[in-house]
Order: sequence, then C-alpha cells, then structure tokens
Amino acid sequence: MKVSLNWLKEMLPLTRSVPEIVEALTFAGIEVEGVQQPSALFEKVIVAQIESFEPHPNADRLSVCRVNDGSGLPRQVVCGAKNFRAGDKVPLALPGALLPDGVKIQAGKLRGVESEGMLCSSRELKVAEDAAGLLILPREAPLGAPLSDIYPPDTLLEIEVTPNRPDLLSHYGIARDLSALLNLPPAKVPEISAISERVREDPGVVKLEAPEGCPFYIARVIRGIRVGPSPGWLRQKLEAAGLRSINNVIDVTNFVLLELGQPLHAFDLANIRGGIIVRMANPGERLLALDEKEYELHPDDLVIADHERALAIAGVMGGQQSGVATTTIDILLEAAYFNPGFIRRTSRRLGLISESSFRFERGVDPGAVMPASCRAMDLVLEVGGGKADESVVIGGSILPWNRVVEMRPERCNKLLGVKVPDSAQLLARLGLKHAGENRWRVPSYRQDLAREADLIEEVCRMAGIQKIPSRLFGSATESSPSDRAYDDLMQLRQRLVGLGLFEARSLALMDERDLEYTMEPTSNALRLRNPLTEDQKVLRPSLVPGLVRAAERNLNRGSSSVAIFEIGRVFKVATQEESVSLAVLVCGERQSKSWNQGATTFDLFDLKGILKAALSRDLIFFREQPTSFAPLLCGMIDGEGNSIGKIGQLRPSLAKEIGARNPVLVTEVTIAPSANLKRFRYRALDRFPAVARDVAFLADKELKYQSVLDAFGSANEPLLVDVQLFDLFVDPSGEKVPMNKKSIACSLTYRATDRTLTQEEANAAHSRLKSQLVERLGVALRE
Amino acid sequence: MDNDLYKLQRTALDEIQQAESKMALENLRVKFLGKAGAISRLSENMRKLPKEDRPHTGKLLNEIRNAVTAALESRLDTIEAEGTAQILSDIDETLPGTRFRVGGLHPLTLLQDQAVRTFRRLGFALADGPDIETEWHCFDALNTPANHPARNDSDTFYLPDGRLLRSHTSSVQIRTMGAQKPPVRVIGPGAAYRRDEIDATHLNQFNQLEGLYVDRDVSVADLKGTLEYFVRELLGHEVQTRLRPHFFPFTEPSFELDIRLQAIQGGKWMELLGCGMVHPAVFEEINAKRGDSAYDPEDWTGFAFGMGLERLAMSLFGLPDIRLLIENDQRFLAQFAR
Repeated sequence: MKVSLNWLKEMLPLTRSVPEIVEALTFAGIEVEGVQQPSALFEKVIVAQIESFEPHPNADRLSVCRVNDGSGLPRQVVCGAKNFRAGDKVPLALPGALLPDGVKIQAGKLRGVESEGMLCSSRELKVAEDAAGLLILPREAPLGAPLSDIYPPDTLLEIEVTPNRPDLLSHYGIARDLSALLNLPPAKVPEISAISERVREDPGVVKLEAPEGCPFYIARVIRGIRVGPSPGWLRQKLEAAGLRSINNVIDVTNFVLLELGQPLHAFDLANIRGGIIVRMANPGERLLALDEKEYELHPDDLVIADHERALAIAGVMGGQQSGVATTTIDILLEAAYFNPGFIRRTSRRLGLISESSFRFERGVDPGAVMPASCRAMDLVLEVGGGKADESVVIGGSILPWNRVVEMRPERCNKLLGVKVPDSAQLLARLGLKHAGENRWRVPSYRQDLAREADLIEEVCRMAGIQKIPSRLFGSATESSPSDRAYDDLMQLRQRLVGLGLFEARSLALMDERDLEYTMEPTSNALRLRNPLTEDQKVLRPSLVPGLVRAAERNLNRGSSSVAIFEIGRVFKVATQEESVSLAVLVCGERQSKSWNQGATTFDLFDLKGILKAALSRDLIFFREQPTSFAPLLCGMIDGEGNSIGKIGQLRPSLAKEIGARNPVLVTEVTIAPSANLKRFRYRALDRFPAVARDVAFLADKELKYQSVLDAFGSANEPLLVDVQLFDLFVDPSGEKVPMNKKSIACSLTYRATDRTLTQEEANAAHSRLKSQLVERLGVALRE
Repeated sequence: MDNDLYKLQRTALDEIQQAESKMALENLRVKFLGKAGAISRLSENMRKLPKEDRPHTGKLLNEIRNAVTAALESRLDTIEAEGTAQILSDIDETLPGTRFRVGGLHPLTLLQDQAVRTFRRLGFALADGPDIETEWHCFDALNTPANHPARNDSDTFYLPDGRLLRSHTSSVQIRTMGAQKPPVRVIGPGAAYRRDEIDATHLNQFNQLEGLYVDRDVSVADLKGTLEYFVRELLGHEVQTRLRPHFFPFTEPSFELDIRLQAIQGGKWMELLGCGMVHPAVFEEINAKRGDSAYDPEDWTGFAFGMGLERLAMSLFGLPDIRLLIENDQRFLAQFAR
C-alpha cells in the first residue's frame, strides 16, 4: 500500500524526518518496502495551457501545440499524446528540466519542427503509474506556477501490512498507529457531518438473504448528481496512492477507502430494478465486471443483486452495467460489512484481487462502516452536488463489539524477559481502555487483539525490542534418534565425498514420465491432487530419476564424467510411506589419461566397490530379470539377508539419449534408520604371520565367481582367512584358453590364531581347498 | 707366505675400491671369496703347511676374509647410494601429482550442517517429521485460521486423501511436542513445499531449519540471545542483527530477524528468519491432542523460529539464480569442495 506523508500530516503533527518515520514504522512491525519522493525533481516544470494545436507536418503521431506558459510569450511544443483538448492545463517541462526518470529536457527540433520543452504525462513525472497521455491539471491551476505548487513535495511510503493488521490499510489507520508509536496527539478524524440520521429498514430496498456473508448493509441514495472529473485535490490524493481518477463519484468511494479503509461502492440508481438483494449467486450466473471481464459465479459467491440479476460481486468488484457513468444522475451508495471468509473464497476462486477484496478479506472495522458511509456522502455532495435522501436504508446489524482482554504485567515481563513498568500507558496510547484490574477493552478496529499474548506483543512493539536484553542459557538435552540418523547420514555423505563423488540435491516432485527411469519401474507413485505443472505431478519414489536428469545436464554441458550421489527422502505407496534412500550414479572417466596412469572408465565393479567402501559392509549381489531401464540389473542383500536395493546399468539407447558415451551405472539403497548408539569392540590383532598360496584353474565360462567363493566356504577350512581374485582371463580366439572356458587365479591366505603355520600345514590346507574346487565345480587346475 | 697374503689383501681391497658397478663387485666377490676364489684356494693350501704354522696363517686368512667382505659391503653401499642419488636427482618434481577424484558436499548441506552444529553446541537436539503432513499438523495445531490463504489449493500442494506437503517445517514443532513432554530444545532441518512457479528466485521446494525451545521462563530475551549467537557463529562477529515485529499465526509476539553484513548484498538489511514466542493457542491445541496438560501455557513458555536456507545460500555465495542449487552441475558443486 502506498501512503502519502502529506496526507498523514493532515491528520497528525508529524515533524520527524523521513528516515525516523521509516524506522519507527519498521520497528513497529510495519515494513516499509520503499520510499519515493516524486516531486523533489519538479524543478523547471510549470503549469501551462494548450491554446491550440495542429498536426505535425512530418509525423502523423505528433502534434504541434501552441502553449501559454504564463510569460505572455507564445511557446511551441511538439507532443505525442492525444488525450488533450485546447484549453487544457498540463505540466510543461522547460528546457533544462530534469525529469524523475533522469531525462534532461532540451530545446530542439522534433522531425524538423521547433519544440521548446516537453508536455508531461503523470508517469513521466512519477506522480502516478497511469500513462494514458498528458497529465491534465485542474482548471484552477495558475498559469506559469511551478508544478510543485499543485503537487507539493511529498514522500510516498510503500508499506507492507501483515495480514493480522487490516486496521493499517488506510491513511487514518497508519496515522492512528504512528500517533501511538511516537506519542503524538491522536490522529484527527475527518469531520463528518451527519446529515441523515434517520435510519430505517426496508426489505423492498435492501434485503439480506445471506446474513452470514453480509450481516450489515447501508444504502444511501443521492439524487441529481453531476458526474464529471474530480477536483485537483481529490485526483492528486488518489494518484499519489497509485489509483487512477475515473469520475468524481467513483473517486470519492476510492478516496474514503484510502482514507478510512472502508471499501464502498456506488451504483447508478437507474440501473437497479426493484431494490438491493444481497444473496449467494445462482449456479451458472454470470456477471460482466468493471474490469470488462465476464465471470461465471458459483453458489459460494456472495453477490449484490437487484430483483432481477446480479449487479456486483460483493466486496470484490462492481458490475459494468450498474456502475456510475457520466450519464448517471442518481446513485445508491453502498457501505457494508462482508464476512472475510466469503470474500477471500470468491477472490481466490476468480483470481480477482481488488483494493476492496484485499481489505474485506482481512476484515474491516465494523465500527467504521457507518462513519465511512457518511463521509462518502459528504464528499459526493461536495464534489458532485445533488441531494441525499432524507433517510438511510440499512439491512441487518452489526453485533455490538465488546471485547475485554486481560494482561498481567508480571506475565508480560516474564514473557518479554524485561520489566516494562509503563505497559498500561503503552496500551492506553494504542486506544485500549482500562476496564478494571489488568483488564483492557479493545477497540473495534483491533480485532487481532484477542488474548493476553496479543497485548504483550503490543507492549513489546511499543516499548521497543531494542530494550530487551539478550540472554543465552539453557539446560542440556538428550540426543534423539533423529540425532543419530543425522550423524549416520553425514558420515555416509563424507565417505562418498572421500570416494570422489559430488552430492546432488534434487526436487521431490518429479515428472511422471520419468518414473520409468528407476530400477523398480512403477506407475504407482504418490500423486498430487493439485499439481502446478505437468512435469511435477508425482512425489519421487526413487532418487534415480533425479540423478539421471542431473547426469544428462552435466554430460550435455561437456562433462567427461559424472560421479554423483544423493541422500534424501523417497515416497512410496506403502505402509512405510517416507524413507531415506541413497542413490549413486557414475559414468564416463573414472581416471583421466595421465602421464603415470592410463585412462579408465567407470564400470559396474567400481560402483560395487564404492558401495562397499561407503556402507562398509559386505553385500551379496544376485542377477535379476532385466528391465527396459536396466538390461543389467542386480539385487543386493546385506549380511542379515535383508534386501536393501539394486544396482544396474542403463539401457544403452537411454544412455545415449542423455549424452553418455560410456556405460551409465546406478544404484539405489534404502538406508534403514539406525536405532542404537554405534558401539565398537576391540578384537585381538593377528599375532602370527600368514602364508599365501595361489591357485589357478580353468572353469566353464558361465561359472559365477560366487560359486568359487561358495566352494571355498563349504570346505570349512579354519586356516583360510582371505580369498582375493587376482586374475581373470578369457581368450575370444581360443588360443590361450579354450573359448568356452575362463582362467581364474586366486590368492588364498592362511593363518592360525595360536601359532606360526608351518609350510606343511599351509600346503595341506591348500591341497584340501584345491580338491574341493575340483570336486564341487569340476574345474581344471593349472599348475 | 705372510707377504703373499698381505699382497692378496691389498690387491683385493684395491680392486674392490675401484669397482664401479654391482656387477663388478659380484665378480670380485667370486674372484676372492667364491668357492674357487683366491682366498678359498689359500685355505685349501693350508693343509700343506707345517702344523705349527697353521694357526697363525689360519688366523691371518680369516682376517683377510673379513676385511674383503667388509670392503665389498661398504663399496656396495657406496655404489647403491650413488645410484639412488642419481635416480633421485633425475626426478622432475614439477611433474603433476597423481590425480585422485575429489568430491564435495552440496552447498546447502554445508550450510545446513554448519547451522546444525551451532545449535548443537547450545544443547539443541535434532527432531524430525514427515514431508507428507496432515492439515492438522501443518495448520490447525499452529493456530492457522480455517480460511487462511496458505491452506488454499493455490498455495499448498495436496494429496488426493487431503494430506499435504508441509508448507513449512513448523509441523516438526507439533510432532515433537506431541511425542515428548517439556522441556524441549530441538532443531529440525528439512524440506518444505510451496505451490510456486519455479524461476530464478523461487523453487517449489526448499530447505528450512526449524527450532523450538520450551522450558519454564523462556522469554524474548532467550530468543534474542540464542539467535544472535547463532548468526554470529554462522556469519562472524561483524554481522549486525535486528528484530522487527512481524506476524505469524503460531507465535505471539512474532518477529523477523534481519541481518546486515558487508559481504551480503552490500550491507543492506536482509531478512533471515521468522521467529517468536510460541502462541498459547498452540500449547492448548497440543494439550488437547495429547489429552493432558503437559504444555500448560501458564507453566511453560517457549520460542520458535524457522529459517530458509536457499535465500541465505544465494546471498552468502552470491548466486544469481536459485536453480543452480537443484541443477547439480558438477562445476558448481566443485566450487564448494575446497
């Protein structure tokens, strides 16, 4: 909301500097997002009158104007606007003037015609956003006078009001709070003459059919108005606050909205058939609104209707057909209280936010509806003439406001951590009335003050947070399972980083079409009811799609290798809906070519090795049915036999699609939360030397290495402590090794825990194992 | 005889001294000490000597054998040392070192962990809650009016069953108080979601750090002291802070904490986090759910805060586009691996 300091000063003796005012507002919880001082740059801009104009000889869009600048000498100015008539008064920037946007005005020729200055729009002068043409000044503006006489130097504050403080959505509201904050005299209420105090109810004129949505409605009729342009003071106030001047009647309603915070609406009485009915919209009912858009209404929407049709979307926007136009003579001036929830619902559903709906949905002051109605009437009569009907028709009533809240000073001190001896005075300054011991009557414009904590906040705001000391103190806390889980995951991350991987973080919402990029393809992902975009409709059941997309991005940006992991939450349609998962993707160069080592590329065994090192446990891998995503796919189980995840290689065509020229390997593992504190136990170090023996053999090509390990294992040889595969050889030519065979060589380590093994013992154990191999696997030993 | 022996020794020692390679030394070893070598041969010949001369000559021969052996070893050490010195001096120490892959943590993890460690130093434990939340945990229990805009379909993501993706981690406060009695001193790092279009300054998922401290006599002074300490630890002692009143439904009074640091946005005040004293209505709602009065607002007070990490990361690291944080470009990630 834009607030004019000049306007505030009409209500309040405000002598502080702008930075002081900004600071006072900021520390009172009223955020000042910007400060504008438009008229500071009005030097050499004066009031001039266009006496006549003719088309530019060389340019269709330009006019050559003869201008009276008050000096008595005629002046010629070329102008591009079209919205003026001869006799209009407009701002003239003389040569040498510097406009707020930094443009310096010079005399010169425009398309061959002399131009001595520039006629300005309101946007060029930054007095308003409207740029429909020249700023037409009030008729009474004195010729040759500096523009700053008409637009006195003002400061505009762009203020962000929190949703709990609708009372601040007007100049009077801000002035009221500032007066309390700065301890100034109370803000002056505009003088309101109560012309018609005769109030009557007449369902033929105002009928409330939805009292929950609209409990109170005031209709005032003013007849014989001359609708036309607003006087300068009115236009100027609206424009300063960022609104466009339309006509005197509409301008008055907007003025009162900016002044008192109560939105109003004026109907052309001639277009109301019968009387006003406030009701819910009929299904399928349509309304052409003032923004020239047609809205389809819903039975949840509150409308202002006559006896035939809807005239306005209550509290949100008026209708095109019933609005006040230049032909209007009699008006019906609406002032009402609408239920915030109703207005919010409709405003959101229609995506239509207006100055009115913004205030109604936050809650206007129920006590200000009648004063605002009177104020608007006064102003309409002042600027538009006419005569108000003797009596005012109202519908419904407003429940009497009577809220008393307790605030114990000691509780206030305790919660703030500082003694505030004058808390009572501070509350009184805010307009609260003392109502017995520690009890305070809350004014109707402060509906947000509902309980003790709210009053304490007011005391804090008024006393100043700077007064509260800083204290650092607290009891020790026991660590939680979340602490252990956090530490485990950080350690896992650090290990993976140590293995040369980068940590990725992807969004949990993903493209449904990417669901195939997982090792457990599923169409059964958790779906949003209200996705925003097509590519983010489901919650990721796996981290793999995110890593595949990240790999694609890196490869397309020229990376020769990708080695990334992510640890994060995944979401499944299952009893255990959310779980933590680790995924790793590697592709491309593991080591780039270098003077002391050759280039190698990542393969499945690198990824197996990474997993083993990172998780520091033994995993058993077994082949699974290939999928279209991973034609090479393995399951993994841990030492306790739990299935923990999968590892695989991407389909080559898919790898190519994402820009990979090498195999793309992925794995995903479910990370079970560690329930217990991690404990370490010392195990005696080996004291006696080990003896190593190698064994080499020819086996069928199909033989899995796991079978070799199993064969060794089944021998139950107590002296065998380790088996390492150190050579694996196949020869496609069949020369060194038959084509259907492979050569395998392992190094076996023998050790006894209680003595040094003799050569004989080691040899005996080795022969037993060798014969075990031959017996169980039928391999041929190579000696 | 003695003279011959001395002459042999001299010859052997001279030749050893002049040997230039390991091979030459080995030849000399064979020549003098080998089975058919000069010294061995002389030993053989001892039998021909008169009995009384044998001990003397034997002793002499032994001495010569020892001297030659020692000379061989010493010369070998010298030759080896010279060889190694040559090899070492031939090394070009400016050749590049072997390349090892170096990975790195995501900048948000780094920032989050730094924050977590700071609060842990103060005695905060970690707390957690699900990303998929009930409306009660995310809004009702946090004193959010039934018609609050944040509940709208346009602002928050919903699942078909009516649950939602938490729009803030404040639901972790509710989870924690539902599960344990006061005092409570926790932080909850985690993801939150808002139904926003993704652009250079917005994501629809972001990371927050939630904090909650409930005890007897917790006041705004504790909130101030704790958060000021946190900000100093995170950003250094030059940082300035200020609290501004603000509004959140679940705290009263509510504040925003602004920071000012030359390194961030050229020293302009920047909003860092929202905070406030736990609203008594939140305690009441928790008590109703728990079915006890463990969090009697007359006995217990507390403060809560919530901080977004992405915005801070953007300012702190000077990121021009928030999407850098989700693109996972390795060149970007590598910048934080130093």
